[in-house]
Amino acid sequence: MRPVSIVSFAQSGGRVDVEETETQMLYPVVSEAIERSGIPRQEIGFTCSGSADYLAGAPFAFVGNLEATGAWPPISESHVEMDGAWALYEAWVRLQHGDVDVALVFSSGISSRGNLREVLCLQNDPYYLMPLWADHVSLAALQARAYLDASGAKESDLAEVASRSRRNALSNPNALLSGEQGPDELLAEPYVVSPLRASDCPPVTDGAAAAILVAGDRAREVCDRPAWIRGIDHRIDPHYIGVRDLSRSESARVAAQHAGVGDAPVEVAELAAAFSHEELILREALGLGDEVEINPSGGALVSNPMMVSGLTRIGEAFRQINENGRHRAVGHAASGPCLQQNLVCVLEGD
Amino acid sequence: MSEAETTVEDDPNAPVRFMQQVISLDYVVRTSPMNRYFGRKLRDRQIVGHKCPSCGIVYVPPRGFCPICVVETSEADEVEISDKGIVTSWTVLTPIHYHGQTEREDYALASILLEGADGTIGQQRLVDVELDQIRMGMRVEAVWAEESDTERGGDVRGFGFGNAIAGFRATEGPDAPPEAYEKHTL
Repeated sequence: MRPVSIVSFAQSGGRVDVEETETQMLYPVVSEAIERSGIPRQEIGFTCSGSADYLAGAPFAFVGNLEATGAWPPISESHVEMDGAWALYEAWVRLQHGDVDVALVFSSGISSRGNLREVLCLQNDPYYLMPLWADHVSLAALQARAYLDASGAKESDLAEVASRSRRNALSNPNALLSGEQGPDELLAEPYVVSPLRASDCPPVTDGAAAAILVAGDRAREVCDRPAWIRGIDHRIDPHYIGVRDLSRSESARVAAQHAGVGDAPVEVAELAAAFSHEELILREALGLGDEVEINPSGGALVSNPMMVSGLTRIGEAFRQINENGRHRAVGHAASGPCLQQNLVCVLEGD
Repeated sequence: MSEAETTVEDDPNAPVRFMQQVISLDYVVRTSPMNRYFGRKLRDRQIVGHKCPSCGIVYVPPRGFCPICVVETSEADEVEISDKGIVTSWTVLTPIHYHGQTEREDYALASILLEGADGTIGQQRLVDVELDQIRMGMRVEAVWAEESDTERGGDVRGFGFGNAIAGFRATEGPDAPPEAYEKHTL
């Protein structure tokens, strides 16, 4: 395998009710990622983006978004109707071909223009769950209940996750929510869908993120501390959630195994756990013990721009190595209801 | 009715062949600050663009950046654009009476290259024109919406022109030569 590293990352931060066009929101983020890398724009050999037009209700918005990249003369590019973490995966594969050395990855989403509890129903199968309008929060609550029943964990364990996430977010200017609220205070909230309270659910968030990937030794020329992608893998569980054991995530476990999470100690992990119980399920699936710091950014529970949250987790893992001197970090992304699809990326410093 | 078209409504024991799933999603469409500014100008019957300080291309409506050069543009780069231009391309539409369709007669939508702009604005209604007389290079001018229409202004619809302009009508004068529109296929 050709060694590939992340050398720069930029994000808009968690926002809501964004007034700019998606392209205008992306423009400064993409420019910042490129400028931070110090690599001239024309040396980018491949560009890959992730977004979903259903979120803002704007057909072919992903085509217009390319205007934020400077796509003239024509560039080599691709798009995934997925979180930007999967765009990063495609860029990593593209760099393995060996003929290009630099890739730009970006993603964006303006969820606040629609109603996520309606829009995300459309990702369900069209025969059984879609006609029920089984929304993602209700499905998450089913998974939370299945997890609590199977593991013996309590709702207070969920509140611990929510409380710590908000506390961690106090030092993250990009988080949409933050605060010093203890588990008991959060447990006093009413349910949104039992057993989940508002603090167990992600805020509707708009945002954008971008990263630059470099293959080979050039990474060390442009970046003091590049984060090398030592393993990356994504797996998917069956589409119909009725045939899954919702109390665990087999696809996350297999992805983590293939990405080599357990091959050496992990210092810090950024998990795209949009609901509090998902963090507990993912810790088990990825084999992360109590010694591993989880979501120092606050994670997806405090800022969850759809299609951007996973790429942001990998970007935050990069920052742990690039800015905070950590050596080995894990970035995780998820897609679909109840952690249906999972991507795991293992990053290491030199 | 053939057997294949029998539905469960006709016969509860008929096999299910189709499921009807009516989906309606509501979105709040926000007009960007740049488009709001453009819209305020339109209310005063002014069309403005941004001229890229690097390459000189004039964008109407302004985007706030040049996607070719990837540089930001601002009010300092503002230029006034004529409400006269030429047709570069057009389509005659025959309305199909789907739900919500209010059009009944054939009509034409055209791409218009305004004087002073480098890009065309798409899907502009041609008014007071014989449909078989439309030509590339045909000179047109804007027919502004009535003052009494308080809703008129720019928004994200209609290539940013919203409903400020009711349409474009032909004006006197010889057609523009092919050099004027040969770089604009749309």
